[in-house]
Amino acid sequence: MMAMTVEFGHYALVLALVLSLVQSCLPIYGALKGDRRLMAVAGPVSGMLFLLVGLSFAALTSAYLSSDFSVQNVYENSHSLKPLIYKITGVWGNHEGSMLLWVLILVFFAALVSAFGRSIPDTLRAASLGVQGWVSAAFLLFILATSNPFLRLQPAPAEGQDLNPILQDIGLAIHPPLLYLGYVGFSITFSFAVAALILGRIDAAWARWVRPWALLAWLFLTLGIAMGSYWAYYELGWGGWWFWDPVENASFMPWLAGTALLHSALVMEKRNALKVWTILLAILTFSLSLLGTFLVRSGVLTSVHAFATDPARGVFILAILCVFIGGSLTLYAWRAPMLKQGGLFAPVSREGALVLNNLLLTAACAAVFVGTLYPLALEAIANEKISVGPPFFNLTFGPLMIPLLIAVPFGPYLSWKRGDLLAVAQRLWAAFGIAIIAMLAAAWLSGAERILAAPAVGLAVWVIAGSISEILSRARFRDVGIGTGISRLAGLPRSAWGTALGHMGLGITALGIVVTSAFEVEAIRSVQPEDRFELSGYEVVFRGVAPRRGANFTEDVAHFDIYSGGAKVTELEPTKRLYTARQMPTTESAIATFGFSQLYISIGEVREDGGVDLRAYHKPLITLIWLGTLVMAAGGAVSLSDRRLRVGAPKRARQQPSPAE
Amino acid sequence: MTRKQRRLTLIASAGAVLAVAAGLILFALNDQIVFFQSPTDIAAKTVPEGSRIRLGGLVEDGTVVKGDHGEVRFSVTDTEASVPVIYIGLLPDLFREGQGVVAEGVMKPDGVFHADKVLAKHDENYMPKEVAEALKDKGVWQGDKKAN
Amino acid sequence: MIIWIVFAILTAFAALSILVPMARARAGDGERASHDAEVYRAQLGEIDKDLERGLIDEESAQAARTEIARRLIAAAKPPEGGEKGRPGSGLPLRLAQLAAIVFVPLAAIGLYLELGAPNLPDQPLAERLAARPTQQDLPLLIARVEKHLSDNPQDGQGWDVLAPVYMRMGRTSDAAAAYRNAIRILGPTVDRQSNLGEALTMANQGIVSADARAAFERAVEIDERAIKPRFFLALALGQEGKNDEAAAAWKSILDEAQGNEPWVPAALAELEKVGGEPPQRFARSGPSAGDVAAASQMSEADRAQMIEGMVAGLEERLRSEGGDAEEWVRLIRAYTVLGRQDKAMETFELAAASFEDDPAALDKLKAARQALETDPDEGGEEPTQSN
Repeated sequence: MMAMTVEFGHYALVLALVLSLVQSCLPIYGALKGDRRLMAVAGPVSGMLFLLVGLSFAALTSAYLSSDFSVQNVYENSHSLKPLIYKITGVWGNHEGSMLLWVLILVFFAALVSAFGRSIPDTLRAASLGVQGWVSAAFLLFILATSNPFLRLQPAPAEGQDLNPILQDIGLAIHPPLLYLGYVGFSITFSFAVAALILGRIDAAWARWVRPWALLAWLFLTLGIAMGSYWAYYELGWGGWWFWDPVENASFMPWLAGTALLHSALVMEKRNALKVWTILLAILTFSLSLLGTFLVRSGVLTSVHAFATDPARGVFILAILCVFIGGSLTLYAWRAPMLKQGGLFAPVSREGALVLNNLLLTAACAAVFVGTLYPLALEAIANEKISVGPPFFNLTFGPLMIPLLIAVPFGPYLSWKRGDLLAVAQRLWAAFGIAIIAMLAAAWLSGAERILAAPAVGLAVWVIAGSISEILSRARFRDVGIGTGISRLAGLPRSAWGTALGHMGLGITALGIVVTSAFEVEAIRSVQPEDRFELSGYEVVFRGVAPRRGANFTEDVAHFDIYSGGAKVTELEPTKRLYTARQMPTTESAIATFGFSQLYISIGEVREDGGVDLRAYHKPLITLIWLGTLVMAAGGAVSLSDRRLRVGAPKRARQQPSPAE
Repeated sequence: MTRKQRRLTLIASAGAVLAVAAGLILFALNDQIVFFQSPTDIAAKTVPEGSRIRLGGLVEDGTVVKGDHGEVRFSVTDTEASVPVIYIGLLPDLFREGQGVVAEGVMKPDGVFHADKVLAKHDENYMPKEVAEALKDKGVWQGDKKAN
Repeated sequence: MIIWIVFAILTAFAALSILVPMARARAGDGERASHDAEVYRAQLGEIDKDLERGLIDEESAQAARTEIARRLIAAAKPPEGGEKGRPGSGLPLRLAQLAAIVFVPLAAIGLYLELGAPNLPDQPLAERLAARPTQQDLPLLIARVEKHLSDNPQDGQGWDVLAPVYMRMGRTSDAAAAYRNAIRILGPTVDRQSNLGEALTMANQGIVSADARAAFERAVEIDERAIKPRFFLALALGQEGKNDEAAAAWKSILDEAQGNEPWVPAALAELEKVGGEPPQRFARSGPSAGDVAAASQMSEADRAQMIEGMVAGLEERLRSEGGDAEEWVRLIRAYTVLGRQDKAMETFELAAASFEDDPAALDKLKAARQALETDPDEGGEEPTQSN
């Protein structure tokens, strides 16, 4: 019997498209007409769709593993000599495969909803899964029409074409799936929002369900962005960790909108307010995810990430983009006024603080949006080529973050419905004091030249100290003593811990960014063997270059000894690598971590006299940038594990402030 | 506060934040964007000296000279005009003579382009987009023939 | 056949995922109010728990209870409008069943037949490499050599064999890499260095890059009389616009030519392009510099077409007006280079007939024919491709 795995996968994908069309029609019709039998279809079909796309993905993976070059996609993007792990990751390391992964995650989330959504009212669940079916159908059609990974070649070529060593990196392999889990995760909140608009009402359960899903997607997106940033930092050899590159912005915009969604969903869940705004944010967040997919996939931005240069694809994705964004926003304009508005609150209140958060985050998102799309628009309209770089974003995004960071510690202290700013300020004096001390210390360390760094350091420390003081004050150590305090601390709802961790992570990341940007030391020089130079208190000694052979490359290894206070602390070996079969050079930088700071050296070409050009950095506290995102993600995970039915107890008018959940 | 007052406060503060954001964006767009230019544009003196630009073209053959402490001099050409560039730092792995390159920096009065960032193609199939288009305009580069 | 059975089973599962839930679900609706009420009741319980744990005080709890109670009462009201549950009416249900039984299989099979290749089995590389050698084609052989070389990267002979094969297949970058490896392991020779340079030049769309120039210079260091590297070095001078030096270089190469080498026309054209006067004995020959310049801008296919056009033009002229022996020889050589042995033979016979009584001319023609018979691949090594 001849193995037919590839064709089996192809058929499964076609069947998935047909089934997703059924999914798009029956449940929604049922939900509108109140026909339970049609609504009942939604759950099992979601499961079946996941199974079909899963089989299809497995078939493609098996073709990669067996180097089946009769599959055009495998031929173009793999090579029989690739290490096993990169054959697997190669499945989504190209346009077609990555779109298949995108859809796989899409149907996976739909299957999750049908599996864990038993407590959602049937109509809402059926309508949401129906909307999810629209998205699946659109992207399955896109794949089969323009980016089919199962096209065959006959006769089959003998060897694949891709052995690009730059893409053979584990960080790059994990980055897209994480990012997609984030992007596509927001499709669920989108489907819930559109379903609510179609049904014309917001159930109590709607409010309960949006936040966990937004949180889950946000969690993955946070990790995905952090991972991409760290990859660029250690692999590209330029020592930068964020470039405001359009591809980075494409993932950052949904993150900003998603963070806003997270906070507005909180208000809706606990206080039944901001419903209509939350629906809009849910639509916008997924729209930005679609926009990100469009920017990266259409080839509009030519870069490492743009696999597609086929204009048909770009136009197709643009059409999907217009239909979904335009359609959902039109629906919103039409139906939103019919939805019932929720509860009232004073401007100074927890709700008010969350509204401020939403305002600043959406404004920041808009700034990134303009900076990313303006060059494209200008090129399309006026044929003028410009590039909008870091200075633009630093000037627009930066100032918007300052009030946000100032406000963060106040938020969790404020009572629901109406708060007392003065009382909150009194309880934040400790955090304020710590921030001032940090600021003075930074000013003393930095000297007059970089005096602006001091308030920025103070601001970041303010956020960290504020989140710690908030969680401690919830335990009321002063009132109840240390023993009870600790047990109260452990008994706090997990969502409170989630908030504190999330805010603390933000502060930690901000601290890392501020310190490394202000106090980084860079050295560019040529060295001869036994040359030594000083870098931020470390003495770097170049010992010479030696050749070395790897599995499929040769490299020139530059050897550096690092001394601190006269004692050798570590060795660094940045290399210049040459992949022999392809004669392809790459630079591998070397990084040593001291505490939270790092020493980073990368070398240029080795000179004939045995010297090298090098670029060395001391990057103080840089690891805090990524540690902070991990803390943020941990906060999200803790909050997600809180299964309580969350209620925000309102504050009555004219009363003494007291902590309220 | 009445319901109406509350709503007004909300709208006013939202308006204020958005106005500030819009102001920042417009100001930054005026000031902080970088235009892409070809060597021909520079030779035609259409670029004001001292403004930040991106210069794209091919690294002219035989012009790369490496000095001490990471200093590199080379010329960027679009075959019609050629601009000398000086750059201090490490060159990207795929920086080669005869290959596409984008340099970002400032044109100095001495007629030398002082670059602080140099980008080459990321892999062997990639040519910086602006460079590819500028060269296509000049009929030098003949498209994505490296399909293999 | 088995594949169709598998497809049928998969399709049946898909149809069942629609039919089964429809058959099992009860008709009717009306559960929303109770759903909302349930949520609110659970929230009330949560407030009591928070109060117990001391997370909120009594007053806040009371306020929250009041709010939720208000929502609870609102939820208990019957929904407005006629959104009461109805039993699933007949028609939509019939249509849905029809969709599951007819639309799903037909659409899926139809679309698959349009897109898929149901007759193509999997072709894992390992199985193909294990197949009998007679069934193998050239690319598979190359794949085998590549695999061997990746296991034994120090096998210089292997690289040496592989490099010209890559070159013929147009994989110029790979060829350059292979020549580099061969040079690294076996050491430089004139041929390897000049072939490396040629590969680099081809890979660079005909421009002699700095790397390529270095390779040619090394070749000349080994043998200063070698024609091929000098040819490309002269070309490089021309490309850099150093016309005088280029002209001198071309002349010195042409001085060593017998006159009938395949690269001579290209050299003459390049010489003319840089503004040099061709040596006396080569006067009036070859395509104009403009033609060659045009050729260098062309794609591979266009260039081939142009060359064939020129050859055809030459043949037409010779057939109608006649010409000297040199020109006939050039035509024979041209066909040899183009790989058209049959035409070359035909041309020879035609020429031989017209020079029956000119023994000197006949000798030249015969020499050309001999070359054709002994070394039909000579064209592969000639550096006539000026780009």
